[in-house]
Order: sequence, then C-alpha cells, then structure tokens
Amino acid sequence: MHTLSARGALKSALGVAAAVALTVGLAGNAYAQTQITFSYLWGGAEGKALEEIIADFNASQKDIVVKGVSSPDMTKQLASMSSAKGAFDISDNFASNIASWANQGILLPLNDYKIDVSDFPDNVMKQLTVNGQLFSVPIASHNFQLIYNKKLLDATGVKPPTTTAELADAIKKLTKVDASGNVTQLGLGLTDVAAGLKTIGYAFGGDWNRGDKPTPTDAKFVKGLQFYYDNVVAPVTPAAYNKFVAGFGPYMSDQDSFATGKMAMVIDGEWRSKFNTQAGMNWGVVPMPGETPALLGSTWVDVSTIFIPTNSPNKEAAATFMKYLISPPAMEKFSHVLGNLPARLSLTKSAVYNDLPNFTVWLEALNNPNTHGLPPSLYMSEYNTDLASAFDQMLQGLQTPQAAMQSVADRVASYQQ
Amino acid sequence: MRLATPGRKNGWALFKGLAFASPFIIGFLVLYAWPILASGYYSLADFSLFKPPRFIGLANYQRMLGDAKFWKSLYNTLFFTCIGVPVDITLSLIGAHILNMKLRGQALWRALVYLPSIVPAVAAGFLWRWLLNSQYGFVDEIARSLHLPQPAWLADPLWGSIAVVVVLMWTVGGTMLIYHAALKDVPHELYEAAELDGASHWRRFLDITWPMVSPVTLFQIIVLMIAFLQVFTQPFVLSKDPGLATQSAVGPGDSMLSYSIYLFQNAFTFLKMGYASAMAWVLLIVTLAITLLLLWSAKKWVFYGNR
Repeated sequence: MHTLSARGALKSALGVAAAVALTVGLAGNAYAQTQITFSYLWGGAEGKALEEIIADFNASQKDIVVKGVSSPDMTKQLASMSSAKGAFDISDNFASNIASWANQGILLPLNDYKIDVSDFPDNVMKQLTVNGQLFSVPIASHNFQLIYNKKLLDATGVKPPTTTAELADAIKKLTKVDASGNVTQLGLGLTDVAAGLKTIGYAFGGDWNRGDKPTPTDAKFVKGLQFYYDNVVAPVTPAAYNKFVAGFGPYMSDQDSFATGKMAMVIDGEWRSKFNTQAGMNWGVVPMPGETPALLGSTWVDVSTIFIPTNSPNKEAAATFMKYLISPPAMEKFSHVLGNLPARLSLTKSAVYNDLPNFTVWLEALNNPNTHGLPPSLYMSEYNTDLASAFDQMLQGLQTPQAAMQSVADRVASYQQ
Repeated sequence: MRLATPGRKNGWALFKGLAFASPFIIGFLVLYAWPILASGYYSLADFSLFKPPRFIGLANYQRMLGDAKFWKSLYNTLFFTCIGVPVDITLSLIGAHILNMKLRGQALWRALVYLPSIVPAVAAGFLWRWLLNSQYGFVDEIARSLHLPQPAWLADPLWGSIAVVVVLMWTVGGTMLIYHAALKDVPHELYEAAELDGASHWRRFLDITWPMVSPVTLFQIIVLMIAFLQVFTQPFVLSKDPGLATQSAVGPGDSMLSYSIYLFQNAFTFLKMGYASAMAWVLLIVTLAITLLLLWSAKKWVFYGNR
C-alpha cells in the first residue's frame, strides 16, 4: 500500500483544482458573453438616459454586455485611441472631428458592417463619410433658429421677425441701456458665439465653408457678421456689450442669460425647448430670418455621432450595439430625453416629440434646403478655433469683421486640407 | 584561499553600484532621456501621435515665425512673467516681514497665508471667475464701494491679462513662507549694530536684509519664472465657458492664451504633435536663456557672505 507523501498530496490537490477549473471554464464558455465598454462624453441627465438605453440593450439579448462609462474628457478619449489595445469599444463625438480622426486611422471603417443609412438626411451624413467610406453614425442632430422671450416682445409690441430688416428693427426696440451706459438687456444675443454668427452668415446667403473649403472672407458671410456688429454691438459700444456678456451666468443653469431675461432673442439649438420649458419661460421660436424671403430658415446642422475606434478589442460586438443605438426606438428615446433632434428622417413625424413645445420648427428644418451640412474636412478643428478668436476680435471692436476674417484667411494656408 | 585581484574587485564594486543605482538609471533613461530625445526628433517631423513621424527638417520652426498665434501666446506669457514675478517677489517680501513680526496668533496667520496654495488650481480658477465677474463679482463690488474704477476683468483684453496675474498671485503664500525662513536666518546682531549707528528701517532693509536674502531671491525668481512661463491651469479655467463644449477665444481678444495652452491646442486639438514638440523646445531655450541671464547677473547683486 502506498502512502501519500506531503508533496504527492499537494500534486494531487493541484491536479484536481486544475481539472475543476478547466471544467468550469469550458462549461462557462458555452454561455460566454462579450463585454464591451461604451465610453461616452455625456454626463448628468444625458448620461442617465444613455444608461437606460444600455440597460434595455443588455436585457434584450444574452451575447453582449455593455458597460457604460461617462468620461467627458476628449483628450483622454483621444489618448486612449493611440494605444495598441483600446480602453473602450465604442464612443461618441461631434461630426467635425470625424474626417480628421479617420485620416489618422483611428476610426474603424464601417462599410463592411452593412449599416443602413438610407433614413438619415444627406446634410447629416455628409461629414461622416470620407471618400465613400462610412466612419461614424449619427445619433442626434442639431440646428439653430431664432428663439424669443414672448413676455419681453409683447411688452415692447414687437412681432417675431421673418427678415433680417425686421430683426434689426426688433433688436433696436428690445435693447436697453441704463443712464450710465450699462446694458441691461440685449435685443439679440449669442449663447454660443461661433454657432450664432455662422447662422447669421447663412441668413445673408453667406457661407464660411463655401465649396467645402474655408472661405472666411466670403462677402455675404462677412455681411452677416457686419449686421451683428452694426445692430447689436456698435449701438451699445463694444466695451458695454462685452462687460454685459461677461456677467452672464453658466449656460442652461439657473443663471442662464436668456432664461433670466438678459437677452430678448437668441440664436440657439433645439435643446432649448426642453430647458426653456423647465425654466418656466414664456417663449417662442421662428425659423432664422433671412435677408430675402428665399433665405428664411437658413441654418446649419451639427451632428452627435457614434464611432468605433480601430483599437477596439471587440469590434463585432461594438458594431452590433452601434446598430441598436441608432435603431428607431433607441434613437427616439435618447433624443426625446435630451430634447435633441433625431438623426432619422422617419422619426421627425413621431408623436413622442409633441410634448416638447415649439420643437417642430427645428424638426422641419431637417428637410429645409436652407439647412447646410458640413463636409468631412481635416482642418475643421483648427478652423473653428481660429474663427472663434476672430469673432472675439470683432466683438471686442479691435478689428472690423472684414479684417478679422482676413486674419483667419491668412492662416488657412497652414491647415491640413 | 583565493584572493580577488584589484581589477576584479573594482569590477564587482562597479556592478554592485550600478545595480543599486539601476532603478534611477532605468527610470531616468525611460521617463526622461528617451522622451526628451524623442521630442527633439518629433520637433523635426510631421507627427500626429497616430501615424509614424515624417521628417520635415526645420519646417515646424519656420512655421512659428509666421504664426501670429504663436507670437500672441509668447507675448501673453512674457507679460504674465514680467509683471507677475516682480509683483510676487515684492508681495512675498512685504508679507514675510509682517509674518516675522511679534504678533499675537502669528502661527495662525502663517498657516492662513499658505492656505490658498493647497486649494486645487481648477477650483480656485472657477472661484475667481465669479469674484472677477464684472456685474456681480466681489472684487468690482469692493472697488465700487471705494469709488474706484471697476474694470471688466474678463471682458477687456488688457484686464484679462491682468486678471491672470491676479489669480496667480493668490498662491503668493508659498514664496512668502520661504522668505520668512530666510529672514529668520539673518543675524540679529547686524540689525542691532545698524540701529546703534542710526540706520533707518529702509536703510537697514537695503544694506542688511536685501543682501542677506539675495541668494533666496535668486532661487525664488528662477523658480517663479519657470512656473509663470509654463502657466496653463489658471488662464485655461478663467477663459473657459463652463456651459459650452464649443471652441471660444482664450479670454477676451485671446488675452489669456498662454504659451502652454497654445502648445496643448496644437498637440491634442489640432493633432500637430510635431509642431507642439517644436514649441516645447523653443520654450526650453527661452527658459534656459533667461535662467543663464539671471545667473550671470547674480554676480552683481547676490551676496553669498564669505563664500
């Protein structure tokens, strides 16, 4: 009879443990789920809405488990995509970055995943397709219209404008300055300077990116900028204008400049519908007034997109989840909670948006030929930064609109095109 | 018994020395030397972090010459440094003298002046955004009550640059405490002798205090100069609209666009890592040149006692 030595006992125990682990592993493999990480830039209410959609997806099938991570740091997002193995499988960003990132080879080409994009408007898809290859899909779109404070307009007897001439007249009547020369109310203001001024440029038939190339000195675009300066800034002086604007509280907070009546009219996006209503405002919105009737509703579309990085460890699973995210029910839920426009044309008639006041003005703009899409371009990020600096020079009264835009034109040659 | 030869013994000692020093040597080579050399090469390349660098010679440096924003950021940063460092030194010296007085609760005052230095810079930046608000801010409110002008700190390009310096001064307590320690080291007999000779307070400061703390002053100026040339957080937070994710100017008229912010924009927003590397090397050369100039000038104004 053999006696079991201590070493023998240890060997046997390890053998049994290995066999058990192997058996459990093999058995577990039959039900293995792929876990993917969805790193999103949203937080707060948007993040909460996304987590609900993620939970719906996880409950709808057994093969993939999505883990949502709110990470609003775009630099970190970019750094994660530079490593061999990515920290996330799917993420979101704005369309303006897509072409540049695709050119760097950090976005997964999506043509092979057979994603049906026939329901998305051309002006939305334009920025997401580079040389015929799809690199990102839209989850929401945005455009900009003229929002007004009904109470302030009624008190002054001003009707919502439909042309830029009427807009100029309304601004004059709605701007208030106290005895010391301090502005107490702006007739028209900008919550996002760049977005607002670009929209005014389109209202005059201008285009800062005509022919899909940077055209900061486009005559009609500069005319739009001059309109804002002449009617909003110059009458109160640039110093008074900037002092007033610098006192604004954080955007879409309790101290929001439009909600607190510091601006009678503002050029802003569809998300204001939900915010203005929650803030208890009496407000309205009209299509952006044009210089001519044909230019009524001139605006441009910005897009929130979803992409898969090239270094995603689970590309197939990420693509499956991507298709779910942009499916009509998920997109409808997401856009409704955020008060954003759906990227799908078929959803523009959905009754779910009926509880968002005045939302139809933005929804209808998706089909308006005056709604401009942007091209996929490598220079957009740098161009936008330069435009922002030039707009500020103009609003400070340091440069004329023409000179400010010329300073941008002088830098265009250094852009990657 | 076999004795080790001197050569073998020295070799073994060298090996042991290197083995003990290896954590530092490896750390230095991997974390410092390699990135510095790599950055030098990237500055001569078209590089975006995601694609292999492509050698382009001195093109990045040449581009700087015609880049208005590069010059703007350099001008702003030199403005912060040239105004901020002398003001910081002056306030610190005055404060250190006050902290050196025999006052009741002095230990508490010393702790209080240092307190802002341990507040995170981002939190302090957001706090200052409100303090400097031209409509509701406390700073302008106090100026109004004293019938002084109320600058539009965050709206006027000139005041925007000054606002950055003001916020940077908030952490003056660190410099002040170092001066406080230096003042403690000045022999008291020197002041007693000067007092017997009838020297005024100002004369005692000029002929005793200033020379005796001059080595510390040299150190403080160099350290502050390096910190001001690299300033990022305060202007970044002061100029950022917390409610918007879109691009905007960095302060009114780009008056808060520091060198480091523009370098960061090139590296991580425009993905021009080669150009950003070249900017980093220019910053190093500027810092080195100013430091050497200060060390050279130190022969004329820094007093090292008998050394």
